[in-house]
Amino acid sequence: MKTSNDSETVIAPAEEAAANPTINPVSGIDQSSGNFRYDMEYAFDAGTGLSENTVRYISGVKKEAPWILEFRLKALKTFLSKPMPTHWATKDLENINFDKIRYYLSQGQKPKRTWDEVPDDIKKTFERLGIPEQERKFLAGVEAQFDSEAAYSNIKDLVSKQGVIFVNSTEGLREHPEIFKKFFGKVIPTGDNKFSALNSAVFSGGSFIYVPPGVKVAQPLQAYFRINAENFGQFERTLIIADEGAEVTYMEGCTAPKFSTSTLHSAVVELVALKGAKIQYITVQNWSANVFNLVTKRGIAHEMAHIKWIDCNIGSRLTMKYPGVVLKGRKARGEVISIALANDGQHQDTGAKMIHAADETTSNIVAKSISVGQGRSTYRGLVHIPKHLKGCKNNTECDALLINTNSRTDTYPAITVRGDRNSVQHEASVSKVNEEMIFYMQQRGLTEGQAMSLAVNGFINDLARQFPMEYSVELKRLIDLEMEGSVG
Amino acid sequence: MSAPTLTSATDSFVGSFTAEAFARHLAALSSSPAWWLERRRAAYETFASLPLPRRTDESWRFSNVAALTLEGFQVEPAVPAGLFLASPFGPAHLAFVNNQLVAPPSLPREAIERGVVVTTLAEAALTHPDLLRGHFMAQPQKLGSAKYAALHSAFVSDGAFIYIPRGVELATPILVTHAAAGPDAAVFPHTLVIAEENAKATVVDFFVSADASTHFACGANDLYAGHGAQLTYIAAQNWSGTSRSFQFNSTVVRRDARVQSLNLHLGGRQARHESLSQLQAPGAFSEMLALTVADGTQEFDQRTLQIHQAPNTKSDLLYKNALRDQARTIFSGLIVVDPDAQKTDAYQSNRNLMLSEEAEASSLPGLEIQANDVRCTHGATSSRIDPEQEFYLLSRGIGKTAADEMLTFGFFEEVLNRLASDPLHDVLRGLIQTQFKK
Amino acid sequence: MSSLEIKNLHVAIGEKEIVKGFTLTINSGEVHAVMGPNGTGKSTLSKAIAGHPDYTITSGDVLIDGQSILEQEPDERARAGIFLAFQYPSEIPGVSIANFLRGALQARMAEGEELDASAYYKRLYQKMDLLKIDRKFTSRSVNDGFSGGEKKRCEILQMAMLEPKFALMDETDSGLDIDALRIVADGVNAMRGPTLGVLLITHYQRLLDYIVPDHVHVMYDGRIVKSGDKSLALELEAKGYDWVKKEFAEANAR
Repeated sequence: MKTSNDSETVIAPAEEAAANPTINPVSGIDQSSGNFRYDMEYAFDAGTGLSENTVRYISGVKKEAPWILEFRLKALKTFLSKPMPTHWATKDLENINFDKIRYYLSQGQKPKRTWDEVPDDIKKTFERLGIPEQERKFLAGVEAQFDSEAAYSNIKDLVSKQGVIFVNSTEGLREHPEIFKKFFGKVIPTGDNKFSALNSAVFSGGSFIYVPPGVKVAQPLQAYFRINAENFGQFERTLIIADEGAEVTYMEGCTAPKFSTSTLHSAVVELVALKGAKIQYITVQNWSANVFNLVTKRGIAHEMAHIKWIDCNIGSRLTMKYPGVVLKGRKARGEVISIALANDGQHQDTGAKMIHAADETTSNIVAKSISVGQGRSTYRGLVHIPKHLKGCKNNTECDALLINTNSRTDTYPAITVRGDRNSVQHEASVSKVNEEMIFYMQQRGLTEGQAMSLAVNGFINDLARQFPMEYSVELKRLIDLEMEGSVG
Repeated sequence: MSAPTLTSATDSFVGSFTAEAFARHLAALSSSPAWWLERRRAAYETFASLPLPRRTDESWRFSNVAALTLEGFQVEPAVPAGLFLASPFGPAHLAFVNNQLVAPPSLPREAIERGVVVTTLAEAALTHPDLLRGHFMAQPQKLGSAKYAALHSAFVSDGAFIYIPRGVELATPILVTHAAAGPDAAVFPHTLVIAEENAKATVVDFFVSADASTHFACGANDLYAGHGAQLTYIAAQNWSGTSRSFQFNSTVVRRDARVQSLNLHLGGRQARHESLSQLQAPGAFSEMLALTVADGTQEFDQRTLQIHQAPNTKSDLLYKNALRDQARTIFSGLIVVDPDAQKTDAYQSNRNLMLSEEAEASSLPGLEIQANDVRCTHGATSSRIDPEQEFYLLSRGIGKTAADEMLTFGFFEEVLNRLASDPLHDVLRGLIQTQFKK
Repeated sequence: MSSLEIKNLHVAIGEKEIVKGFTLTINSGEVHAVMGPNGTGKSTLSKAIAGHPDYTITSGDVLIDGQSILEQEPDERARAGIFLAFQYPSEIPGVSIANFLRGALQARMAEGEELDASAYYKRLYQKMDLLKIDRKFTSRSVNDGFSGGEKKRCEILQMAMLEPKFALMDETDSGLDIDALRIVADGVNAMRGPTLGVLLITHYQRLLDYIVPDHVHVMYDGRIVKSGDKSLALELEAKGYDWVKKEFAEANAR
């Protein structure tokens, strides 16, 4: 990449977005608006391929404590020793070439506290995605990650005065080890799966959040993840701790330009909700269709705590993600709301895991997927209620909508219950869009595409309403865009 | 790799079913036609080459694979003399003990006159070779037990052959008994049913241990329903409590045909049942029912596959398990709708009634849908007796024990009520009640 | 001659008190109607008397002929003579009406005593004919897939078969069209007599056109706030419950 910082590559068909860069009121939701890139020169580059040296390089530039380097090196061994999970997952995973990926790219390790300090080329990217504007409007704090490191990170004074910590992972481990070390890697052990091990070896960026006892953060904290470089792997690591009685909502958005080669995004997100705490974690995943998105997300809910994942997957080539909750304390609650839209060339392999580990815990899963064109959506679920617990309940509903004759949907739940004092209920259905309904709307003058969008929006309407307003409006708009092109 | 390691590995693959045992088995079947002997040889190769199931195999998820063993069984158990076996379904038309027919086939004159054939596989190999060849173990093994199905194909020596010609409707069920007798007896029961165009029949298989010793049962049943045929198949399994059992069902349903199957699982220490229904032509309907009473430390492992290969086909599965003591059940079901199978109507339901603190039920209800104009739903529940229903019964003056018993039997009746035949319903109910009161 | 005494009854669901000092005595031969706006504790009262485990009686007592029944299990209370006609009867899949009623009658007999099957069926069919229930229903599962009207008739059928001392009829009229209501009312009227006491719980006066009560009570905020004869029901019909609420608020304000 030898072009100047001002040169810009717009990848078709984003002319409209280019002409109207502020059209998107919320970051990370409109596929076309993310499809651009500015060429960059990176001050730090770990090179191509993965070895012990890559790991040492990353740890070195971050000036990490020795225990973190040890942790990374051990994780690398685990990653290398674990087979690809293709005995149950799609063979498409075999198309990831770990030797061709760049594992660390950044212009520096310290994020800026004001947008004025952010280098122009990176600032332009985020402005175009609408991040600074959103921050002013309705966010309590923002972290904007550009490839491997956060370029910008800020939290409103009001929130920081309450004792809330909102930093990137490098800073979190360096400045607040007494808080984060205790939980880091404990919710999701390195060896949980091949990709959690990979992340543990090369992680960089992501948010570390601590909310002190009783503090209820009124506005959401937002993180924005941007991949800019080709053949790149982004491995952010997020850890959120809500202390007793605390409440926090975290939102993440993500985009990348569409390259002809594949890109890897493999994050690990750990949540800890202590007694009576509440964490709501909202994802709107809109990676371009060349991204392998292989993410491990899990939370531990202590007594009376509530963890809710709202997980919306619209982009990527292949997403494999099953947000989970370990219900560790009495009366803890876990929830997963999942929406997946799989268009041509996409496979949304999503779902949820609920591990009950205490009495009177309840979990709820609602998953809705839409398969369009040649798209494939898969639901995988795990519900586990082990021995001697009582009063545990799980309710799962999965509904799939198939739009075209060559779309595909799969459902693979696994439910284990022990004892006679718990109850689980799982229901799933597959249906197509009601043709009579489409005809009715067409008769009233709507195009088939418009009618289809209305039908699809109707299908997910009850879930979309659980999103914050700004997100739910954009979700509808995005579905309109996806549906317009897919019928006729 | 050194030679001794190889030998021991092979040993653990085949257990008691060694190459020598197979050779002795073949020698005893010298009258069998060449094609069948050849198939048996090929099956033995497959059996011996395939590994034992592993914990990480998706199709064995949650199964206690470590407890599966092929060791210590009598491959050619002797048939005890003078053994009398009463079947609760009535006198059997075909009765096998340790793989051998123990009495000549009996069939009502009316059935014989109309061309119904009820005989042994060995006899059918001579009289109906093409039918046998075309239908015997002819369907794919897709549910994880290829090794055990090959073991069955290799060692099966005899079984039931039932043929209902075109347009023949049989009012009374055909009863088959398969028994295992004596310590460590290995049996390979087989029932093959062919219902031709517009034929109608009911076939009952009863699997039973003649004594309390440990048995190894590795059985299969092939059901074929031709154009417009209506076939009801009932299998009641009551092996001894220490036995291991595998049973593989294949059901092929042709145009406008209807097959209703009901499996009652009562016996065995570890019993795996695989059931494959193929809906091959428009109008085909397969109703798959199962009831399990699991107690002690029993494990019942049920794997099902409903494949819709043609448009306008229907399948309806309802598997109910009642779990007591430390029993475990696994239900893993999959509905597959092929891309061309539009207007498929598929249903799958697994209900587990948890009756003790230690029981464990796992459900894996799955869907793989590649056609868009379908109606497919599945559901799985695991729970104790519904407290509201219990209160309703109590409020009518029925005591708690009686109320719970009434609700538990009600749980099974919902499935039994789907049977058209009251006498069969009564026998099955009786078997369940005996199991509960033992 | 029996009596059902409800004495200063307080009932809670979880932490929330719903019934707050309800007192009423019902004697054999009497029909009492309890009317009141929604959410005032009418259904709670009947379920608590029948012994539903979700309802906690925090104070007060319920006695049959001077004997408290609060220590009894729900089935013991039923055998002591309490019958609850549910507002929303449970569906019991797989348990046929014939077997169910047989079990309920058998439970009322002494140990070793057997129900006479032919006499039982004769009586069952007779009651079914009276309630215009198809005889084929005997082999159907209790309430399973029944329409609203069929469920209510099935409740009355059970009441007729079990011959309770006291029937608590919880919103029996809800969800019934006028024909079904007439059949149900005819059934109850046929059972009226010196050996049966009835507590009719209803929101609407309509049912009382068909089952004419001896006494009418208005329940509000968990207790009886007004009692009278059948004319009270007509007054309520004309004036609505706001009148009662207002009077109650004024009484409290004083």
